[in-house]
Amino acid sequence: MTSICFYFQVHQPVRLNRFNIFNGSNAYFDETKNKNIIEKVSNKCYIPTNNILLDLIDQYKNKFKIAFSLTGVFIEQCQKYAPHVIESFKQLANTGNVEFLSETYYHSLSALFSQKEFEEQIKLHRNLINDLFGQKSEVFRNTEAMYSNGIAKIIENLGYKGIIAEGHEKVLSWRSPNYLYKPTGCENIVSLLRNYKLSDDIGFRFSAKWWEEYPLTADKYATWLSKCEGDCVNLFIDYETFGEHQWQDTGIFEFLRHLPNEVFKYKNLDFKTPSEIVKSYNPVGSIDVPYVLSWADVDRDASAWLENDMQRFAFEQMTKLEEKIKQNPELLKIWRMLQTSDHFYYMCTKWFADGDVHKYFNAYDSPYDAFINYMNVLQDIKNRLGV
Amino acid sequence: MLGWEFPPAKTGGLGTHCYELVKNLGAKNVNVILLIPKRSQNVKYNIPNVEIEEVGSVPIMPYNSTRESTTTFEKGYGWNFFKEVEVFNKKCVDAALKKKFDLIHCHDWITMNAGIEIKRMTGKPLIVTVHSTEYDRTANIYPLNNIIDVEKRGCQEADLIITVSKQMKQQLIERYGADEKKIKVIYNGINASKYFGLTSKDEKNIVLFLGRLTNQKGPWFFLHTAKKVLEKKKDVTFVVAGQGDKLAELIKLSFDLGIGDHTLFTGYLSEEEINYAYAMAKVYVMPSVAEPYGITALEAVASGTPVIVSKTAGVAEEIKHCFKVDFWDTHEMANEILGILNYPVLGECMRKNGYTEIQKFGWNRTADQTIDAYRSVL
Repeated sequence: MTSICFYFQVHQPVRLNRFNIFNGSNAYFDETKNKNIIEKVSNKCYIPTNNILLDLIDQYKNKFKIAFSLTGVFIEQCQKYAPHVIESFKQLANTGNVEFLSETYYHSLSALFSQKEFEEQIKLHRNLINDLFGQKSEVFRNTEAMYSNGIAKIIENLGYKGIIAEGHEKVLSWRSPNYLYKPTGCENIVSLLRNYKLSDDIGFRFSAKWWEEYPLTADKYATWLSKCEGDCVNLFIDYETFGEHQWQDTGIFEFLRHLPNEVFKYKNLDFKTPSEIVKSYNPVGSIDVPYVLSWADVDRDASAWLENDMQRFAFEQMTKLEEKIKQNPELLKIWRMLQTSDHFYYMCTKWFADGDVHKYFNAYDSPYDAFINYMNVLQDIKNRLGV
Repeated sequence: MLGWEFPPAKTGGLGTHCYELVKNLGAKNVNVILLIPKRSQNVKYNIPNVEIEEVGSVPIMPYNSTRESTTTFEKGYGWNFFKEVEVFNKKCVDAALKKKFDLIHCHDWITMNAGIEIKRMTGKPLIVTVHSTEYDRTANIYPLNNIIDVEKRGCQEADLIITVSKQMKQQLIERYGADEKKIKVIYNGINASKYFGLTSKDEKNIVLFLGRLTNQKGPWFFLHTAKKVLEKKKDVTFVVAGQGDKLAELIKLSFDLGIGDHTLFTGYLSEEEINYAYAMAKVYVMPSVAEPYGITALEAVASGTPVIVSKTAGVAEEIKHCFKVDFWDTHEMANEILGILNYPVLGECMRKNGYTEIQKFGWNRTADQTIDAYRSVL
């Protein structure tokens, strides 16, 4: 039996205002823009996709299962601008077939600078998910699947049984991502590795006309799944794939609607949540990741956020405030919002190679604009903090 | 090919363009006969496959002057000027009829009449490159109708029109009713190695404006931006390089704004001095109201200087590693200048990436695309 494990990442950053230093009274965050985006993506993606998943769970009962990871900043914005989206996720939680994973509250890079801050944010998120959905997941997903031996160790010590990572050759070499592995240096935790090829077939290539497999249909995809060897096929995908990255007219919703039925035509396939995978299978080997591995772009490291000098400088200036800012509850929240990875992603200058995927997401005209804006906000906070 | 400026009698983008274009065309085995006016300084170039003939006997100073004193043209086009242009065009026709060639390529209105006439007499295809229009050069203030007429006619008669940017293409379609199908955009290039290694940033915070002091180039916006920057940061010097009929007005404005002691007007700069200015500046600002291309932005990038360019500039269609602003948005320009001055990593990143980027913009590329254009009409 091979288990299909769907986990969808749901995140929206709180975008900054254009914080011009000649207008010091500006708010830090762009309420209008954030509201518009939440509303737009709710209509295009969250609500229609949730409805399809609810229908599918209703139809196939306990046979169809999925998992989500919702960031704290996403949830907060929905509570503010689109409470019906939260209700819709609660409905999914109530089916009992949907798992909500654990992660950092602010979709932050905290794992890269402070264990204390990292753990505090995990706890904040854990409480939020428990309050909303009555769940305490045993599987952890770090921002953009950033993973290393050290991060796995911290997560193990917090009592988690599973951690998400990218199933890339640079870690696996000839081995398959379709098994559980034990992180080097850990005893009580396993890593679930993303099958990036099959995940990206949906996430990136679904509507790509240059792709020899275009158009991708549910029956074709189910055939591929049925031919996979291994215990589990981990399909970890950005939720916005449905209706936002891949628009409705690409047929992405029809694909999703028909996929379970096509999967059930094969006796060797079933669906499991990440926690069920962890309980059902044993690790077949270990993975050794002494550096930061992520699921981002072609490099699969932290370079999308912390490669160029601007990113490093801005990050360093922000992290330096930790001790001081923790004595100031009002500014602490803002500081944490500035840790969201997206702010650093906007400063990335690699995008000539990466092309359009990145541009589509950039809230600024250029990485240089992103840097100045971030620094202006940070400087204002520093002034208020008296640094 | 019919040209107007040519080094050493070169003032703006057109002279550089003609020189680099014929040099690179020649290197690709295209035989070019270039007809240009007789200048006070003789042209002394030995470029393979390129024959340069100076027609006319009256020395004419270049038009469109960014870098040299040319009283005639900066005070408006005088009677003599139009007479000279007419004589030059006539002589070009006479000279051309004695030569053997396959097509005619002329640059801007100043050579268009001759191009049209040669086409009529020989039946050879005509290519017209438009570097700027009368509307651009005057920033829309009192454009001269007789020049507009020539530009319009050139667009109609040409078998193919080359523009230096997409916005110029759009302008020709809208203003002159040019046929969209026969316009090809070919960007200018940059000989980046010429500027390499010039960078000498010291402690001084110098912000540079360089260009003709006319409505078109937006020097007012530069000074108003300077005032805003100085409200937040005192140790900054704003250099206004170049000359033009607005010089006195701008100097007065700098004092009215109370920034006279932080503003430096250089007047005319030689090529060497210009390169030095680029290299010294921490930021180069080009707040042009109208800018068909804006080759100086590439020169600044090549000199390792971060640039802020007007969104309207043709060069903004191409380069990514720079700031692009609305020329009237002095708040934003000041914000960006302060960002670059306050956070050295920002300038470093722009410098590194910008320099890598412009390696792609060689004249080699411009020549290749021009050859493609030639082939399409033969």
